[in-house]
Amino acid sequence: MSADSHDDHHHQQSFWTKYLFSTDHKTIGIQYGLAAGAFLLFGFFLMIVMRWSIAYPHEPLPGYLSWIFTDGWKARWLDGGKVTGETYNMFGAMHGTIMVFLGVVPLGFAAFGNYVTPLQIGAPDMAFPKLNMASFWVYLLGGLIMCASFFMESGAAKSGWTNYSPLAGYADKQIVNQLLAGQTQWLIGLVCLITSSLLGSVNFVTTIIQLRAKGLTWMRLPFFVWAMLVTGFLLLLAFPPLEAAGIMQLMDRMTGSSFFMPSGLYSRTDGVMELSGSGSPLLFQHLFWFLGHPEVYVLLLPAIACVAEIIPCHTRKPLWGYKPMVWAVIVLGFLSFIVWAHHMYLTGMGPVISTFFQTTTVLISVPSVILLTSMIISLWGGSIRFTMPMIWAAAFLPMFGIGGLTGLPLAFNLADLHLHDTYYVIGHFHYVVAPGILFGLFAGVYHWYPKMTGRFMDNTLGHLHFWPSLICMNFLFFPMLTQGMAGFHRRWYNGGDAYLEKASDGINVFGLTVAEKISLNEVMTVSAIALALAQVPFLVNMFVSYFWGKKVTSDNPWDATTLEWATPTPPGHGNFTFDISVYRGPYEYSRPDHGEDYFPQWEEPKRSESGEDESEEPAEETKA
Amino acid sequence: MEIPFVVNARKDTGLNNSKVGIWLFLASEVTLFGGLFSGYLFLRLYADYPWPERALPILPGLINTFILIGSSVTVVFAWAALKMREWRKFQVHMSITIACALGFMVLKAIEYNAKFSHHAVRISDSGPVEGYGILEGHKKKVVLEENDRLHVVHKENGKYPEESFDANRIVFKASEMTFTLTRPVHDAFVIEILKQAAKRDSKITLVEDYAVMDEDQIGKDGAEKTKVLKAGDELTTDALDKAENVFLDSRAHDSAIRTNFEKASWAWIRDEKGIDKPGYNIIDLEVWKERRKEDNEKLKPLMIGAESGITFRVEPALTLILEPSWMTSNGRNTEQLKLRDDTVIKGEMLESPMILGVDAIDFSFTAMRAREQGLDPAAVIEKSWIVQEPQLKAIWENHQEWLKGETARLAKKDREPSDLDKYRVTWQKIVAYGQAKEADPDADLAKMAEEQTLALPGWLDGFAGADHYNPEMVKHFPEVSIPRDKVDFESTFTPKWNTYYAIYFTITGLHGLHVIGGMIVLGYYLFFGRKMYDSNPDWLANRVEVGGLFWHFVDLVWIFLFPILYLM
Amino acid sequence: MADSVAEIQKAKKLYFFIGMLLFFFTVVTVLVATVEALDFGDHGFDGVDATIGLIIAAFKASLVMIIFMHLNHEKPLIYFFYGLALLMAFFCLWLIGWSKSDPIQFGNPTKVDGFYNPANPATDVHD
Repeated sequence: MSADSHDDHHHQQSFWTKYLFSTDHKTIGIQYGLAAGAFLLFGFFLMIVMRWSIAYPHEPLPGYLSWIFTDGWKARWLDGGKVTGETYNMFGAMHGTIMVFLGVVPLGFAAFGNYVTPLQIGAPDMAFPKLNMASFWVYLLGGLIMCASFFMESGAAKSGWTNYSPLAGYADKQIVNQLLAGQTQWLIGLVCLITSSLLGSVNFVTTIIQLRAKGLTWMRLPFFVWAMLVTGFLLLLAFPPLEAAGIMQLMDRMTGSSFFMPSGLYSRTDGVMELSGSGSPLLFQHLFWFLGHPEVYVLLLPAIACVAEIIPCHTRKPLWGYKPMVWAVIVLGFLSFIVWAHHMYLTGMGPVISTFFQTTTVLISVPSVILLTSMIISLWGGSIRFTMPMIWAAAFLPMFGIGGLTGLPLAFNLADLHLHDTYYVIGHFHYVVAPGILFGLFAGVYHWYPKMTGRFMDNTLGHLHFWPSLICMNFLFFPMLTQGMAGFHRRWYNGGDAYLEKASDGINVFGLTVAEKISLNEVMTVSAIALALAQVPFLVNMFVSYFWGKKVTSDNPWDATTLEWATPTPPGHGNFTFDISVYRGPYEYSRPDHGEDYFPQWEEPKRSESGEDESEEPAEETKA
Repeated sequence: MEIPFVVNARKDTGLNNSKVGIWLFLASEVTLFGGLFSGYLFLRLYADYPWPERALPILPGLINTFILIGSSVTVVFAWAALKMREWRKFQVHMSITIACALGFMVLKAIEYNAKFSHHAVRISDSGPVEGYGILEGHKKKVVLEENDRLHVVHKENGKYPEESFDANRIVFKASEMTFTLTRPVHDAFVIEILKQAAKRDSKITLVEDYAVMDEDQIGKDGAEKTKVLKAGDELTTDALDKAENVFLDSRAHDSAIRTNFEKASWAWIRDEKGIDKPGYNIIDLEVWKERRKEDNEKLKPLMIGAESGITFRVEPALTLILEPSWMTSNGRNTEQLKLRDDTVIKGEMLESPMILGVDAIDFSFTAMRAREQGLDPAAVIEKSWIVQEPQLKAIWENHQEWLKGETARLAKKDREPSDLDKYRVTWQKIVAYGQAKEADPDADLAKMAEEQTLALPGWLDGFAGADHYNPEMVKHFPEVSIPRDKVDFESTFTPKWNTYYAIYFTITGLHGLHVIGGMIVLGYYLFFGRKMYDSNPDWLANRVEVGGLFWHFVDLVWIFLFPILYLM
Repeated sequence: MADSVAEIQKAKKLYFFIGMLLFFFTVVTVLVATVEALDFGDHGFDGVDATIGLIIAAFKASLVMIIFMHLNHEKPLIYFFYGLALLMAFFCLWLIGWSKSDPIQFGNPTKVDGFYNPANPATDVHD
């Protein structure tokens, strides 16, 4: 049970090398998790300030939201304590950036991926431990550069998380030293993040391909590892075009080039801009969404992966349709590269290419549905144990279902023309990301916490976290879908107030008006604040359980079958205390020919048994 | 703990970790350069100006191609030497590789430097089409004379006079300047202005006291403002900082008070009036409007209300020489300049011409626009300012003469001159025309063109472009003074000039970073590889193979870059 | 892969030969671009010259990949990585190109050289 005793080479490590500049994948995973968690909370806070402005556009920020800012900052960015349009844009852009690039991706892929993947494939560490460490520090550097710009004269980036040119090329141009402009720092931060994810994804794919334990053939890999492999490829191949776009935009800002600036650009303050022109704003959108869409699956797959691990374990039943799921995730990854322009139906693309992207977008829903359906069917006939991880995983299924299905109308060109840039879109992808992906990741935290710390998380606090979260999420995001149908635009910083002044009775194509849905703003804002409060039990739980939680009694407290449970608790440097060999598939629960209701992958078959089933021998090809 | 397959190959994949890693990395590089190349392709195909074809001197690019190919060969030789356990040979081949990388970067630096010091101007011609002719050349150095005129100076003893400056500056006689305190004044501007003031014995002093009420004095009888800066104080960055800090404090104070009033009125309407509605419905209520009016009255005496700008007088009026990049072109007119940090300088704009030693004239854009509108390009070009300028007119006429002969020559082969031939007078042609006319003032350029006897400068005469330090060459480049109002857009040959140079610098810059990266990695194996070699020669061989793969990839990218940037 | 001494000796000769071939084709591509007698298509640079230049470059690049980067005898996994990356880079080029050459058009836009003409406002509905 002790962590360190097994390793002969284990030498005394200083605090620095053990906790900060560690090359151990588990420490790095936890570092990623903590940093990403902090960024998530910060992004969440920005969102609450925005929601306040939407629901109460003429009211100053209350003390519990404004105490964090200094008087000088408030004088610059607030108007008599009220959120200005500029500030709203800044918070909006940074909310998106932080949540996607600094929060969910590092939490899902980097934190869970780092901690769990090498354990599940029976590897002592990642293939390139030093690169792994570099990846984390470059990520943190990028994140801090982006967030530091909040304190600059220019403020942080304000052109949306998609950073479309020419707006993004023009914003903050008044700053003489462009290195001190928020827009520029956003780009520098982005280049850091892309570098970090490149290092990470090379490492993940190499690790999964090269360091699988003896006998762990491809079809014996847990689904989690498959999902990480596909995610690794997505990051590897989709991110570089955005890096190219980021560098070109950086050139536009720093050297005055016109990659994305068209000819004859005019601004009210500066007149005709001093630019060579002839650039293509649309090129930026293409390169951005070439990453942007695979990025959605980079967010999603780790969450699906966690849920796919948790459901078999807590229903004591093999994952239904493991092979179709594996193929689905591969097809999903591949297709995700050729659907990107469905984000761009309104940019003036012709009907032929729109139809192409519409078709691929509808196609990609097939593997997504295979994944979700397989997991739902996995519940059928299982003896479901409603432990904390299972509750979260169970909630993931319908929530992600809503998120996915509400995306279908957006895939269709005609419907999207009306719904583009409305709250419907916001509602759709937040259903995917917040109650979907985040619930999946919460499930993961509750599931692997005992392995990381040796103690269970507290159940009462867990329920206090789960139920309010579930309710608030739905009260927060469902009204968005209705509001979107009524035509609420996603960039209204005062929640539709200014729109009503101009056009109070415009009925839109769905027969709805803004006036009749505007009162939902308050419901959503109250839910958002309540949702924030609902996270308090979780934070308390994480902390309290680390010191006083119920101790685990074995290394495999959930009676699970995959390899991470074969390690000591918590696993030491080098992970495994014995030579790992794998004898069977990842989800051998409730086998009628086996005494217990689970049959771990690493447990040697009894002599007589192995004679009957050849597949239980470690495959010859993978012997080291 | 040991990570498996660091040196030896895993059986089922047949590869070791670093080989898998490097190929994955190269895969991502493929999409990185894929993104950049698609950027190149679409910027070029959809350019709304004539894309500069074959704009770069070929020789440096060609030599660099040879260098990279050579180093690709030596790097595989180095790997082969390790495989055959020949340490010495490995050292030799690896050293050559690294020397090649260094040579590549040196050539790159020479090329970049030539671009940075070469200037181009779009001449605004408000003629029949919305187009512009382009002049390229070297900025001359000038000095400011007593009568505020510019005078071109030349190198003496290999040096320009100390007080000389580039002939593209804005010359402005300043009498007053106002600094904005709402955002930081750019210190570098102030320091440069002060330096010039000191040189020309001008004093920049505060016009009025900058006085601000103290926070704790507000509302008291007989309270007086505290003088932060006194009238007559000299301009310094410290003084500006001080004023700015006071201003920001006062702004924070005022804003906090206003916020409190807002909050109080919201509490009032909720608690006392019993109205609980969100903002949308409330702002139209009469009681609410009344309350706001009252609040505004009460607020006034509580505010500090510091001035957001401070004005300095310049005595005697100071002739400032400023870089054009300090302001946007819209931020300058005859009476005032608005710098990019919102500082306003009042006074009088003096003649600020751009003086170029012109080494190329380009009417391709004018011609393109004229054709689009169904006009005769020649007639449109005729009206351009460029053709009005006597020296340039002479070159243009020579060019027309040459073109006549060239057209006749090509007609024999059933061909036509390209747009580049027709509308672009390159530096080679200017030199050739000049030399021909110098040798014989009555030389018939048309005939020379037809008989192909006109001697154009060779590749070595201008290695990285026209050589402006060669007196034999430079005498053919006329010194042209372009009035400021004719300058539509000016830039050195940097990414700013057009999208071609933008993509050229971006791709070659990134490629250069890859070369440096590869050089560092391979250099590490050369200088620190012995230990690895002694412990396990195959280990080092694997590493060198991996580094070599990266190096070949860098070469591979250049194989595409050379034709698309230099030859197309 | 060549591992025995004899094989490597043989391979070294091949590498040298390929290097010379690369030098040669570099010279060819420069000559095609600069010598008038080798100027195919119209006088001056045009699509024909671009095609020739890119074909030569692609050939040189294949030599580097196949011989120097040992892709002539490499493991299937590497082919998979490289193929995938090329495919994605191709998607990036092809789909962006397709969507840019298929704008919503009003009226009867004139096309210049097969691409839409940015100067004609009738076609200028994006960028």
